[in-house]
Amino acid sequence: MPEGILCNKQPIVTDEQLKLTLGDKSGKQYYAEMEQLEVDTDKLWSTIQNTMKSRLKTWLNICAKCGLCADSCFLYECNDRDPRQVPSAKIHATLGEIVKRKGKVDNAFMRKCMDIAWSWCTCCNRCGQFCPHGIDMGVMFSYTRGLLFSQGFVPWELKIGSGMHRVYKAQMDVTTEDWVDTCEWMADENSEEWPGLEIPVDKEDADIMYTLNAREAKHYPEDIAEAAILFHVAGENWTVPSEGWEQTSLTIFAGDWEGCKQQVLHVYDAIERLRPKRVVGTECGHAHRATVIEGPYWAGREDGQPPRPYIHYVEWLAEMLRTGRIKIDPAKRIKEPVTLQDSCNYVRNQGLKNITREIMSYLVEPGYFVEMAPNKEYNYCCGGGGGFNGIGKYRPQRNIALLKKREQILATGCKLVVAPCHNCWDAIRDLEEEYPIGIRWSFLKPLVIKMMIVPDHLKPQDEEGEEE
Amino acid sequence: MYNFLTGPMVWITFLVVVVGLTYHVVTYIRGLDWRLDRVGYRPNMQHGLKGAARSIFFWILPWGSHGWRAKPLFTLLFFSFHIGLLFTPIFLEAHNIMLKDSWGIRLPGISAGLADFLSWVVVIGGIFLILRRIAYPEVRILTSAYDYMLIVIAVSPFLTGLIARYNVGNYDFWLLIHIITGHVWLLSLVFTKLNHVVLFFLSRAQLGMDYGIKRGGMKGTQMTW
Amino acid sequence: MKKKILLATTGSPASFGAARVAFEMAKRYDAELLLFHVAGVPKKGFSYQEVNDVRSQETVQVDDDYMAWVEEELKNTYAKQLEECKNARIILATGLPHREILRAARDEDVDMIIMGAHSGDSSDIYSKGYPGSTLQRVAKAAKCPVMTVHRESASYMGGFSHIVFATDFSKQSESAFKYALSMAKEFDCEMTLFHALDITSKVLAQSDIEDKLITLRKRLRDVYGPKMGDFKNFEVDVWEGNPYVEIVKIARERMADLIVLAHNTRELDPEQARMGSTLEQVLLRANCPVVSVNRPDKV
Repeated sequence: MPEGILCNKQPIVTDEQLKLTLGDKSGKQYYAEMEQLEVDTDKLWSTIQNTMKSRLKTWLNICAKCGLCADSCFLYECNDRDPRQVPSAKIHATLGEIVKRKGKVDNAFMRKCMDIAWSWCTCCNRCGQFCPHGIDMGVMFSYTRGLLFSQGFVPWELKIGSGMHRVYKAQMDVTTEDWVDTCEWMADENSEEWPGLEIPVDKEDADIMYTLNAREAKHYPEDIAEAAILFHVAGENWTVPSEGWEQTSLTIFAGDWEGCKQQVLHVYDAIERLRPKRVVGTECGHAHRATVIEGPYWAGREDGQPPRPYIHYVEWLAEMLRTGRIKIDPAKRIKEPVTLQDSCNYVRNQGLKNITREIMSYLVEPGYFVEMAPNKEYNYCCGGGGGFNGIGKYRPQRNIALLKKREQILATGCKLVVAPCHNCWDAIRDLEEEYPIGIRWSFLKPLVIKMMIVPDHLKPQDEEGEEE
Repeated sequence: MYNFLTGPMVWITFLVVVVGLTYHVVTYIRGLDWRLDRVGYRPNMQHGLKGAARSIFFWILPWGSHGWRAKPLFTLLFFSFHIGLLFTPIFLEAHNIMLKDSWGIRLPGISAGLADFLSWVVVIGGIFLILRRIAYPEVRILTSAYDYMLIVIAVSPFLTGLIARYNVGNYDFWLLIHIITGHVWLLSLVFTKLNHVVLFFLSRAQLGMDYGIKRGGMKGTQMTW
Repeated sequence: MKKKILLATTGSPASFGAARVAFEMAKRYDAELLLFHVAGVPKKGFSYQEVNDVRSQETVQVDDDYMAWVEEELKNTYAKQLEECKNARIILATGLPHREILRAARDEDVDMIIMGAHSGDSSDIYSKGYPGSTLQRVAKAAKCPVMTVHRESASYMGGFSHIVFATDFSKQSESAFKYALSMAKEFDCEMTLFHALDITSKVLAQSDIEDKLITLRKRLRDVYGPKMGDFKNFEVDVWEGNPYVEIVKIARERMADLIVLAHNTRELDPEQARMGSTLEQVLLRANCPVVSVNRPDKV
């Protein structure tokens, strides 16, 4: 059975294999091997028979081919309304065809499916809202990705991403030591300005356990410091776990369902171990979806709830602003047109649309907040969702996908975009790089820190500089 | 022939339709899987049912959902077509007489004029649906012969009924064709994609539960899925 | 003297001045020089090994070959200096420059960071999402003094003969003072304790200004005089005006070859801080190296 050294049906589970795959420049060898990868058609078909029950089967069967989903898809619109980009056409050309042929598909077909599943769909679930039958192509493409992953047809970066989670329990090679050290570092770095600032690791029975995105630890730990500052100012009794702190899941993008389960269990183990009253996650969309919305099911929790109440950062922040535990200085409110990016993963997928708007009402001077159109649960994907941002092979397609958000932002006339999601934040940053339109973008944390009223007892003592 | 088609065959067809659609409903519900679908149906039934009801209600209400409002003209076409398709055969006076003759019950009838009008709506609606499939690239790419066949199956009893009613050509011939196409119409509810007559409700209910439970419903967010 | 100096360099002409000072200092005081370079800023949602090369701004794949090439380039750029400096090490990293500089400074426990005032390319999109410039972020968070050399002409290093210490009486200025004093003692040079009375934001009568200047001179003497110990070679002065202008002016007038001040601005909004930060403005205008001290740890 021709299986590549790098491209094969086995997920990456060792550091050695991970480094080997990482060492492959741009996945050149990986994709070359993929062309030789054999499709295990029997396994493919038996997997489908075992996992494709009522919902997906019915969706495939009753699709009336009415085309109402076409305009719902931003990729269809960005790609000059190419009919092949109609969501229904996409899923029937891939999953539909695999089912029709009872799994008897060849290598070239699987590679085509991979291209479509990862570069023609970001699993934003928007089309599902426009289908009279309630057919959600995003869900079906996630499922298709799972089938493709199990056969080894997955983009190089996501194969690595899945491996990172399996080897490092995080999407990046951040070890427990690195992580704990980063917490110390950030507490130390900000201790002058914020006397008493702490990032307590593994504190049991705290009110809040905080989980985040490995990228914050790896590349911009400021975000961790900012979270700490805001918890500090709000007077929260909080902690971060030394293990199980990584909330994201590239495995969900990769279609590595087993990896998804492993990853979410790390977090749930931390919750069980530290027994916080509730858990707060960072400003990330897919992390919330992976850990809070879908995670309970992967972990086998039938009620669909995480072990403890688990909220998104925007929910925590809205609560603090609402109850006055964090107060905004009215003089410092945003006084320029500002718009808000709704993240698919917690707005369309958990309805947190009014929460973010409540936050905006505190941060923005009345009259300056401009909605995108469409917005809330009907907002378009940032253009980089579902792993799209991270895949080199599909960079050209991703850049085209950014055009919709560009158009939306330009229509608001705003130069500042609030994007409380790492993925959206990235896409909007890349948007400015690819098609400069002179915008700025921000997470909520830095904005709030800049605008909040710091209680006197939390300010550094004898700060008398700049007097006169 | 006529007697068979309006006698025993009616029983057979009705039986097949009832059993067949029941089968669809039962297998659909049995095939739901909280793990695979990632929806905690059972423990959150209350929220689920609420979401399901909302989802169905807003989608059978013309322009009730965001999706319908996005395409107002199509929605008009679509609803007229379906209303004609479902109301006409049930409330048609002629059908009711037959029903009274055999079972002794009758439903409220509609005037001949309204029946004609609704039938024309179905026929013209069908033509527009076909034209739409040809005209729009985004629908054309999805369309296969099967989709045209479904429209033909759905519309033909109405077209033949109208022909018979207006006495164009041989009445008996067209009546016979009308009855045959009527049977095909009914049987297709079980054996073709027209099974969406029940699966629409189930599929909508499922997505409604998904949203009612997992995707915001339990957070108290009202979205018209 | 300092044991470890971290020279954060882009390898571009913009950082040559900083490099010259760093090599000079390392040689003179037998310090270990860490030649630190951030090869690239991660792209693609920070996934893995693709970065924007800081010099070419082109997208490159980071692997051993690329890193070896970057190292070679650095060695060529500083060939002459490296030849003379025995105790030097090259450290390469990828990431966001300010963060990686701080990380390396922390990991290596360095005693001083020396860097150019800007990377030579301010259009870098990857620094845009973060408030403040690389320098501001480093100066704000570093535990050791940060020396910046804005241009090559400011990099003349023949030892120090006159140090201007500018204070705003903040807590951070305490640390900056300690550092300035230790340098002055070390080099046995003159020192000017200076404060600029900011009159840009309010209208004051000339007599008020005169009064304030007198009070402030006294305050300077009261605050710092007792801390001078046996060091006598200093004077005290207060000028009125726009602080950064006055600092640069006095440095020029006294022919200072080092300015020491605290970085205590909390404002990190790029637009506001870039305009308003005294430190930043002094850096851009000074004709000598400027040291910013923010923390007491390494002075």
